Amino acid sequence: MNSLKYHAQFQRDKMMDNGPDSSILCRELKWLMEDAVEDHSLFSKMGFENSDEKVKMRVGIEELYNLWKERIEKRRPFQYVVGCEHWRELVLSVQEGVLIPRPETELIVDFVCDVVSKNEDLKRGVWADLGTGSGALAIGIGRALGIGGRVVAADISPVSVAVAAYNVQRYCLQDKIEVREGSWFEPLKDMEGKLAGLVSNPPYIPSKEISGLQAEVGRHEPRVALDGGVDGMDALFHLCDGAALFLKPGGFFAFETNGEQQCRDLVDYMKNKRSESLCNFEIVADFAGIQRFVIGFHH
Amino acid sequence: MYSFLQRTIQTSKIRQICRFSLFLQNLQTTSSQLSHNIIVSNHSYNYGFHQRSIVSQNQFRCFGSESDSITVEGIIANNWNILDEDDGDWKSHAASVAQSIDLIKRRLQWKKLKVRLDLLSAQLTKPDLWDDPVHAGKISREHGSLLGKVKEVNALEQELIEHIDMIKLAREENDEELESESLKALLNMRRNAKEKELEALLSGEHDYCSCYIEVQAGAGGTESMDWASMVMQMYKSWAQRRGYKVIVMEEMAGELAGIKRATIKVDGEFAFGYAKAEIGVHRLVRISPFDSNKRRHTSFAAVAVIPILGDGSTRVQINESDLRIERFRSGGPGGQHANTTDSAVRIIHIPTGITATSQNERSQHMNKASALAVLQSRLDQIEMARQAQLNAQHTQSLTDITWGSQIRSYVLHPYRMVKDLRTNYEVSDPDSVLEGDIDAFILSYLSASLDKDENNG
Repeated sequence: MNSLKYHAQFQRDKMMDNGPDSSILCRELKWLMEDAVEDHSLFSKMGFENSDEKVKMRVGIEELYNLWKERIEKRRPFQYVVGCEHWRELVLSVQEGVLIPRPETELIVDFVCDVVSKNEDLKRGVWADLGTGSGALAIGIGRALGIGGRVVAADISPVSVAVAAYNVQRYCLQDKIEVREGSWFEPLKDMEGKLAGLVSNPPYIPSKEISGLQAEVGRHEPRVALDGGVDGMDALFHLCDGAALFLKPGGFFAFETNGEQQCRDLVDYMKNKRSESLCNFEIVADFAGIQRFVIGFHH
Repeated sequence: MYSFLQRTIQTSKIRQICRFSLFLQNLQTTSSQLSHNIIVSNHSYNYGFHQRSIVSQNQFRCFGSESDSITVEGIIANNWNILDEDDGDWKSHAASVAQSIDLIKRRLQWKKLKVRLDLLSAQLTKPDLWDDPVHAGKISREHGSLLGKVKEVNALEQELIEHIDMIKLAREENDEELESESLKALLNMRRNAKEKELEALLSGEHDYCSCYIEVQAGAGGTESMDWASMVMQMYKSWAQRRGYKVIVMEEMAGELAGIKRATIKVDGEFAFGYAKAEIGVHRLVRISPFDSNKRRHTSFAAVAVIPILGDGSTRVQINESDLRIERFRSGGPGGQHANTTDSAVRIIHIPTGITATSQNERSQHMNKASALAVLQSRLDQIEMARQAQLNAQHTQSLTDITWGSQIRSYVLHPYRMVKDLRTNYEVSDPDSVLEGDIDAFILSYLSASLDKDENNG
């Protein structure tokens, strides 16, 4: 009966804020089980094999039940519940205090792959991912770079730095990716004019919208990774200024934004204030058709 | 570090499945559909093909006349009595092998195959062949594969005749040792030839491929959507029993129950060769559980099967610029505003309007990759149908299948029966069929479609 009550509450909540519907929850539950079974290959056979087969679990049934209750009752993001997010071909460890990488952000890696496939110099250069969070972009880019290519991933949050470093290690990229703690360009003082590329998914949500966010986001994800100031552009403007200063000639940048308005404002800002160093601005939409990214080059 | 994947809490504890499913039942309020996928049932395996009931064993009468010129045709014409393997009669073994060879030839469509082989050989000698390396590669691959089959059958014939000669010689010379050796060899051959009969059923160009199976509900609302999901479940179970890997590629759920349409990938050797026998419309007659007046309903579901071509085959080149990639079921501002585990992707091939979707992977990137694979196969299929009219019946897409092309009827009421309308093969236990026991239907269709007189086929 209790779970029915939670479910009803959940239904009411998610109607308010665009939360997951039951088909998504069913699939999450399937994935929860998949992750909980130690031998993944067994999972696909369940329901067909003889029932005398024993299945080894990573967590006890009671704990599993409580984890799912948190998902429903507290709207705890599924990715925090299972401790990981599948992103591109990667499985990244995430936990409270670290932004869960979004599907949209995957595209930035495609942009970088595109650019480095045409430019050997950038492929062997030093890249920076600022506000790296779980390290998703840094790892995605690190895998696309050639011999000699490096990534510096920075984040102001010590938890993020720890998680990112852990993920980097899981993909054996510690020789290629260096994780530093600090705010935006602060930990990059030695890199002025040297970066081959700069990417970021900075906080871009206007402050007044934070309170109305979907419960999974607003109640559980770190505000520092979401709140972009009054109009959401604080970090984005700062990144543009830094790009002009830190990119080397021919260097590439890609930033994620809140949508069409921010993209246009950002391009206007760069055209007016930074056109002596930055050029070839382009606004790119995500797969939902929302103008999401601003990309461009250093002269 | 808190990470679910890394944690090894209670790894040593072994949990019983039944507790597992109990737990799932507790969660049913939030996940009624899911538990049905996981709860473990007690189905036992039945891998065996009902070969006996399918491969008709002609009754041979013994006329006793024996010809001196030995050929396979001659042996068949002799109508030697075929006895059990244990009866050590060489004529019986020889007749059985000859019969197998004859069946294999029919299944390979021998005359057509020889004509095709001659055609390919002629093309291979053309001096300008390699001007188009892709085409040349295809020709020479097909030539090699056909030649291999011809050689194999010729070798079987040769071997049979040698053994018979040997036995005759041994009898003339009164060499008992040689005779018993040759007899043993002939018996071995008899067993091998039986296996080769089955292999010859799956000798189509793409039979070895993995495939996609698509099911679409016919008109009739919830009842037929429920039927479509039953048909899909039948194929999932069938594929699992055969040891194939099954992945749900896309699924459009019905409003109340069932599916409007779904695609699964069936991964494994000869998946296409078997599954192609299921192409067409499947009809269900039952008292509908969705009809409060308990009336009898007839519903239809269309099934299409698409081979997933290996890299060796000609594949349609897809230009990235011809694709429009959309995220569907998305709404709102997205990005940092949204937490979702849903990253369903639809890809539209603009020049042809062909679309493919994927929703069950855990990242958008992977959904894109698997939707692209579906799209590739759909485009390949269209290209194949264009190139080879011969293959047309096996390469129909769902939209090509007319609702008139019924292949099988499943009756749950007023009597219980599943009957294949092409072969008239029938069973009286619909439940086992719907649980995936369809091998007998598949094999009876494959042999019926290939074992016709070659001249008619």
